[in-house]
Amino acid sequence: MARKTRDVLSVEWVRLELLRTAYATRGGLLARMDPRMVLLWYVLLAAAPWLTHNVTVLIGLFVLGAASVVASRVGPLVLGLFVFGLTTDIIALFAASFFFGGDWNTLAALAVLNLKIGVMSMASMAAFISLDPEKLSDALLALRAPELLAFGVSYGYRMLPILVDEYITVLEGMRLRSAAPASRGLLGWRTVLHWSVMSVTAFYPIMLNTAKNVRTTVEALETRGFTYAAHNPKGRTLRLAHLKVRGFDVAVVLTTLALVVLAFAIGVEYPLYRIG
Amino acid sequence: MTMHADPVIQVKHLSFRYPGAERDTLRNVSLEITRGDFVAVVGGNGSAKTTLCKTFNGLVPHYWAGDFAGSVSVDGQDTFDSTVAELSSTVGYVFQDFQNQLVRPTVRDEVSFGPLNFGHEDYAERTDETLEHLGISHLRDSFVWQLSGGQAHLVALASVLAMRPSVIVVDEPVAELDPARAREIYLQLRELNERHGITVITIEHHAEFVAEFAHSVILMADGAPVWHLPVQEAMNRHRDLEEHGIPAPDAVALSALVLGADDDVALDVSTAVELLRPHVAREFTATERPLDPGTDRELVASLRGVEHGYRSIGGALRPVLHRLDLDLHAGEQVALVGTNGAGKSTLMKLLTGLIVPRQGTVEIGGIDTRTRSATELADKVSYLYQRPQQMFLRDSVREDVAMFPTGRRREGAQELVNQVLTRVGLDPLAERDGRTLSGGQQRRATIAIGLAMTPSLLLLDEPTSSLDVRSRDDVMAMLASLSSTVRCAVVATHDMELVASWATRVLVLDQGRVLLDTDPRSMFSRPEVTGQARLLPPQAARIAQELGITPTPLTAAELRTCLPTRDAALTKENR
Repeated sequence: MARKTRDVLSVEWVRLELLRTAYATRGGLLARMDPRMVLLWYVLLAAAPWLTHNVTVLIGLFVLGAASVVASRVGPLVLGLFVFGLTTDIIALFAASFFFGGDWNTLAALAVLNLKIGVMSMASMAAFISLDPEKLSDALLALRAPELLAFGVSYGYRMLPILVDEYITVLEGMRLRSAAPASRGLLGWRTVLHWSVMSVTAFYPIMLNTAKNVRTTVEALETRGFTYAAHNPKGRTLRLAHLKVRGFDVAVVLTTLALVVLAFAIGVEYPLYRIG
Repeated sequence: MTMHADPVIQVKHLSFRYPGAERDTLRNVSLEITRGDFVAVVGGNGSAKTTLCKTFNGLVPHYWAGDFAGSVSVDGQDTFDSTVAELSSTVGYVFQDFQNQLVRPTVRDEVSFGPLNFGHEDYAERTDETLEHLGISHLRDSFVWQLSGGQAHLVALASVLAMRPSVIVVDEPVAELDPARAREIYLQLRELNERHGITVITIEHHAEFVAEFAHSVILMADGAPVWHLPVQEAMNRHRDLEEHGIPAPDAVALSALVLGADDDVALDVSTAVELLRPHVAREFTATERPLDPGTDRELVASLRGVEHGYRSIGGALRPVLHRLDLDLHAGEQVALVGTNGAGKSTLMKLLTGLIVPRQGTVEIGGIDTRTRSATELADKVSYLYQRPQQMFLRDSVREDVAMFPTGRRREGAQELVNQVLTRVGLDPLAERDGRTLSGGQQRRATIAIGLAMTPSLLLLDEPTSSLDVRSRDDVMAMLASLSSTVRCAVVATHDMELVASWATRVLVLDQGRVLLDTDPRSMFSRPEVTGQARLLPPQAARIAQELGITPTPLTAAELRTCLPTRDAALTKENR
């Protein structure tokens, strides 16, 4: 098969999708909001499905979750993984329930659980895709999370693209220097195994390299007053001074709240519980 | 002496030993640095340059707690009674591996990080002002991982300057940057020094920058200063420098040839030109390296109508190579030069088969790269990455070198590995992890990895970057000896000395096109091309050009042949 440059479903595409997701480059509704309000919005939508067993309400919330995923411009990689995860979960449950002598009833009960998890996952996707690292760390700081956690989150984001690049480079090196299996094997299992081994062992050099590199980072943090700030809260106040809840933020949260209430109201009117 | 009128840093009888070390790293150091000075700290590997500079901001002894004797005072403050945080407001530090110094996601956040931590109300103004000073305001919303090396260095510098220090220490700016970018950094440092009165201390291996920018020079050897002199006197003692592994810049070495023992040597190109002009012959007989006639120019690789580009984060296709046609032949030593983003790395990756072009064809030894996997093509092509650590995939150098030949069950793999290790001089270190070796040894280990793949086409990405001068000479000698085993070698580089002394063919890439395809001498004789591709010819070549010598000598050794011997020059002077 002739090789060609692919723009989707290639290593490069995964890399770009990760960055777009982590750095909220697509914008969207929630990306324009104050990060603390985004977290509040998230708690609201993620908690709601756990308050009921009413399938009507859950379907309503599911639709709301799906709409927020669209409004937040969630990328194809994350969305694809979510759909893949949800469908394989359903198929697995289906198989398992029949294997253990269950029937349609068991499956319906499990479907309710899946709906709840689905709503929560979609809320998570919408919220965290809209928070770039600075916003997320400011929000955590504002909510009195430990300084180190807030910093760790933003530092993790700063390192992510570099680690991804490094990983790809090491993986390329392995491709070039290791020998491919002589025959592909049944369904290409040898090739799959070869790639699996490479993708796991590629982590090893990266960890060693990173361990070496962070020595400078730790010294640099010291020189730039990171530990000083831990004892002097003035920096925190200054850093968070820019956070401001605007009418738009309140409107989005209130609208969501109204829609959740609406879903519950419809649920009361047309209740649908699992039969049995 | 007026020079020590107002010392900003005073070191008295300082000795320091790292915890667990056998002997003192700093040995009874006493020196003074005057406010407003531009100091270069020079010295061989292991002469404790970095350790000395880390005593200025208190990293030694507060972060590196060891045996500390004597005293260091900064702006009247004894560092032992102070903290790193307090001292950092006075002394800013830009690390050698400055990329690891950047800790925040965006440039603006990075620069304001220090002022915010120290609770300065005016952090936003400081950030804007610093970015403005360094001319990088347009980068303020960029993510740090999007920056090029030069930009990242400026951001690291900005994040230090935002704390308004009166002293800044810059550890080896040239190590990770190409010379043209490093020069820009130095121009910025000069500006900060002259306009804003900031005391600048740089740790530097490259004497060319020292001669051009520094006001005074501290030569370190074995944990103590040999001397601290104004730059002119320091360069007049270029023999001392050379003894300690710092070769004199071409301007210094060449002007010394025509000067008496007590005269001041030239520190820059224009002074060297004035001094050399009366002595120099206008004609130069080049001894070109002939192409090996035995190979009959066999085709190793060929590219036809190659177009390639990458998707950007926004989704747009960013073209990198445009309709590229290129043939590489046996016996060639090709240097690939051009600015960052000119397409050098993309071209190399296309040749390895790691990527295939969006349009056009790449053939290696007559095989279209589209029809084979990169793993299969590795039988013919090997690619050595710029950062050696990325090539150490196993526990020891020996295993890394053996990975390819034993993985593919090559006959005589063991002998080949032994032979290659001996050739690069790493026999005694073969069982060590590559990461624990010095920069020069790491580079030799990667070359060994490449040689053990017995390729017909060897690709090297920046093989001489971030090496000190001695290791660099080592690597250059090794590259020169490659022609016997490798049929064709391609080096992507910013190192113009390497181009001048090693390459038989130069490809100048500019915005995805071949701007020029010729031999090094012809390239360096065309200022319009070197200007457009932002290439800085070796200092000797620049001197030769201003002297109007044709054809242009490229190295100090070549230019020397146009000069009379030392005695003859002096006699002529006296007449």
